[in-house]
Amino acid sequence: MVVLKVFFPSCCSSAESGLLVGHWIPEQNSAVILAVFHFPFIPVQVKQYLSEVRQVTQVNVSVLGTWSNCKKKEESLSEFLEDLGTIFSHEPWIQLCKETDSKFWSCSVIQKHPSTPKEDEIILVYYDQRKVMLSHLHPPGNLTNSTDHKAEDASKLAVIFDTVAKSKVLFMKDRYDYGPIKLTHWQSEGVEASIIVELMKQASIPVCMLLTFLLSFVSSVCKSRVLKFWPLSFIWSKLSTCEQLGHRLEHLQVISSNRKAQNQPQLMRKANIFVSLLADVALGILLMSWLYRKNRIGHLADTLIPVADHVAKELQGLLQWLMGVPAGLKMNRALDQVLGRFFLYHIHLWISYIHLMSPFIEMILWYVGLSACLGLTVALSILSDIIALLTFHIYCFYVYGARLYCLKIYGLSSLWRLFRGKKWNVLRQRVDSCSYDLDQLFIGTLLFTILLFLLPTTALYYLVFTLLRLLVVVVQGLIHLLVDLIDSLPLYSILLRLCRSYRLAAGVKFRVLEQRTGKPLRLLMQINPLSYGRVVQTYRLPTYSCYPKDSWGSLCKKLFLGELIYPWKHKGEKQD
Amino acid sequence: SPAQPATMNPARHWQKVLYERQPFPDNYVDQRFLEELRKNIHARQYQYWAVVFESGAVVQQLCSVCVFIVTWWYMDDGLLSVQWLFGAGLVSSLIGYILFDAIDSGAGRKENRRTRWADLKSTLVFVAFTYGFSPVLKTLTESISTDTIYAMSVFMLLGHLIFFDYGANAAIVSSTLSLNMAIFASVCLASRLPRSLHAFVMVTFAIQIFALWPMLQKKLKAQTPRCYIIVTVVFALSALTGLLTISSVGAVLFTLLLVSISCLCPYYLIRLQLFKDNIHGPWDEAEIKEDLSRFLM
Repeated sequence: MVVLKVFFPSCCSSAESGLLVGHWIPEQNSAVILAVFHFPFIPVQVKQYLSEVRQVTQVNVSVLGTWSNCKKKEESLSEFLEDLGTIFSHEPWIQLCKETDSKFWSCSVIQKHPSTPKEDEIILVYYDQRKVMLSHLHPPGNLTNSTDHKAEDASKLAVIFDTVAKSKVLFMKDRYDYGPIKLTHWQSEGVEASIIVELMKQASIPVCMLLTFLLSFVSSVCKSRVLKFWPLSFIWSKLSTCEQLGHRLEHLQVISSNRKAQNQPQLMRKANIFVSLLADVALGILLMSWLYRKNRIGHLADTLIPVADHVAKELQGLLQWLMGVPAGLKMNRALDQVLGRFFLYHIHLWISYIHLMSPFIEMILWYVGLSACLGLTVALSILSDIIALLTFHIYCFYVYGARLYCLKIYGLSSLWRLFRGKKWNVLRQRVDSCSYDLDQLFIGTLLFTILLFLLPTTALYYLVFTLLRLLVVVVQGLIHLLVDLIDSLPLYSILLRLCRSYRLAAGVKFRVLEQRTGKPLRLLMQINPLSYGRVVQTYRLPTYSCYPKDSWGSLCKKLFLGELIYPWKHKGEKQD
Repeated sequence: SPAQPATMNPARHWQKVLYERQPFPDNYVDQRFLEELRKNIHARQYQYWAVVFESGAVVQQLCSVCVFIVTWWYMDDGLLSVQWLFGAGLVSSLIGYILFDAIDSGAGRKENRRTRWADLKSTLVFVAFTYGFSPVLKTLTESISTDTIYAMSVFMLLGHLIFFDYGANAAIVSSTLSLNMAIFASVCLASRLPRSLHAFVMVTFAIQIFALWPMLQKKLKAQTPRCYIIVTVVFALSALTGLLTISSVGAVLFTLLLVSISCLCPYYLIRLQLFKDNIHGPWDEAEIKEDLSRFLM
């Protein structure tokens, strides 16, 4: 049994009698009705108009049948309608008839050639022309897992959506446009607002050009050779503010480029970047307005110095505790004293540095606060950098502790192999047995014994400073996460999903309107909106920093071996 | 067909090969199966006094450990002066060094291609490193309790005795590990001594008694067995005397241990040979007897 499907725009259900114009999809055996041409018309003009439309839209639009919307059934009219079939020859010829007294529509299909199999059933599917035209169908994400049947269905649906979307030109013809041909289809009603849109479009071209010029100037300054020398480039790569500014610069370049977005994802990307930039700047200005009121900057600067002092004092206390007998652990007294004094001297240096800086802190904060107008993310990045700078002593302690510990661990592991009379064979990547000389054995064992007894002391210092460092890393990581969230959230897509849910379609669902034997089945096609999760997943903007590539296991291994851990990971590193 | 029973072709004899198709099931064996059975092929007839002679190595090593512990005890109590021990060690080392070359009239030295300059260098490295690290060794185990140090030293010295190369060809033998454990134990014990010079002398003495003395012994045993017996007996007696001055009970127990190792254990070994009941045959796992090292190069 072959089913013939007729997709009928719901806005045409009250149209006057006329011709059905649409696109015939022979593979699916279905007709997509796009508009109704009203009586009276001249067939030649209709054909000419349709050929023009065909040229513009690249859709094979043709007359598919007739449409009658009359009070009573008239014999003469039906004959006339059949005759039209000979003028606009189409196979098959669809005759739709709506009777006002009955809920059911009648539909008949005339086949000229008896060789083609007779359709047994006709399904009328109503669709909202505007929604279908504007919506963008997202094929199911997990196509590989689903059956071929499902994928085929999705592609069939996509053809119908595509047909309607391409025939946009057909809908441009206004209702009040008295030409030789009168049409019924969906029509836009917001003509007045579109004037403002047009004005903005016109204005955006010079603005974009100016922006592009400025951006190219800024980026050429950034890429200049003076800033590429070793210490500077190293500093740039470690400051998250610079990364964030570069990222935003790229975004601005994308927005201001005068190339037209080729397809829907690119368009959405541009819109997403634009909206997220706007939201970011708005939040930044909000932050700024809060900061600069009631001398909050001064208060902040007044509290910052005591806090840094307090942290240094606490660290001093911690070191004093470590230099005693911490938690009853058996430490090597001599090494403990040496390490403790070394770190105490560092803290002393740090405190004097802070006090040297204290008169300028307020001024620095005031100027730094101005950067919030570039966006909340930039302000957050600067905050992250300030935290990194203020906890530099903790970082130093961590590095010293980790290096010392790492040295001990590697020394011990290699001396332990010597202790057993083995060695690491680099060429074969395995442990081989080896015969050592007497003096090698003696010195190795002596060092092994010494390192083994000194290990607890170093390990304790390493543990304490690693915990402090992890605390700072976690805070910085949270700030980075927030910045990433603001950077990558596709705000425009989410707003679209919230307000115009049909624009992002995941699929369709059909609702049965009427069903009776002998009459065509009538269905209403409704658009299933995309879920929020998939919206975010599909339109997520790429960010410059990605999450640390280590898993928890490798992180723990690194911590155990005393390798340095960093919160920042760049895409370039990941590709290595 | 191959599945036909043997009665079809009685003339064909069964062969112990798998690469030919034979009219027998896979697990078939014929009458000659037990002809290749052999018993106790590795059993050896030991001579009592030869075994006693060989057990001298164990006695020597036990005595070395005993002498080391006794010396440490004296040092810890202050009964033995640092200078005296160092002087004695130096003199005995020099005598041993001369003896070492004199026994085989320089044959071993030529074979190893070891020069006197290399010996001097090794000695300098020992002395310099030990002397340089002795202040570190002194403070190394300050915060660790003495009982822990004793327990660790006992374990290490036991390990030294277990892994020592007494001349047996076994997998457990590792002269490197054995020597390292002895050095570890000596470093642990040396760190308990009152001054850093004590620690230096103690570690030097440990090197002499655990590394150099067994080398001389081995050579003595190979070249002049008669001399070796005398040295062993004298060494054992001196160790016993030293132990007797510390604890008489310990000396008695140590004597019993030495006697049982050198007299009872060999007797027991020879008696147990009578109970040996090993069977060998074609069912044994294949054994590679040839030395494959020339193919592996």
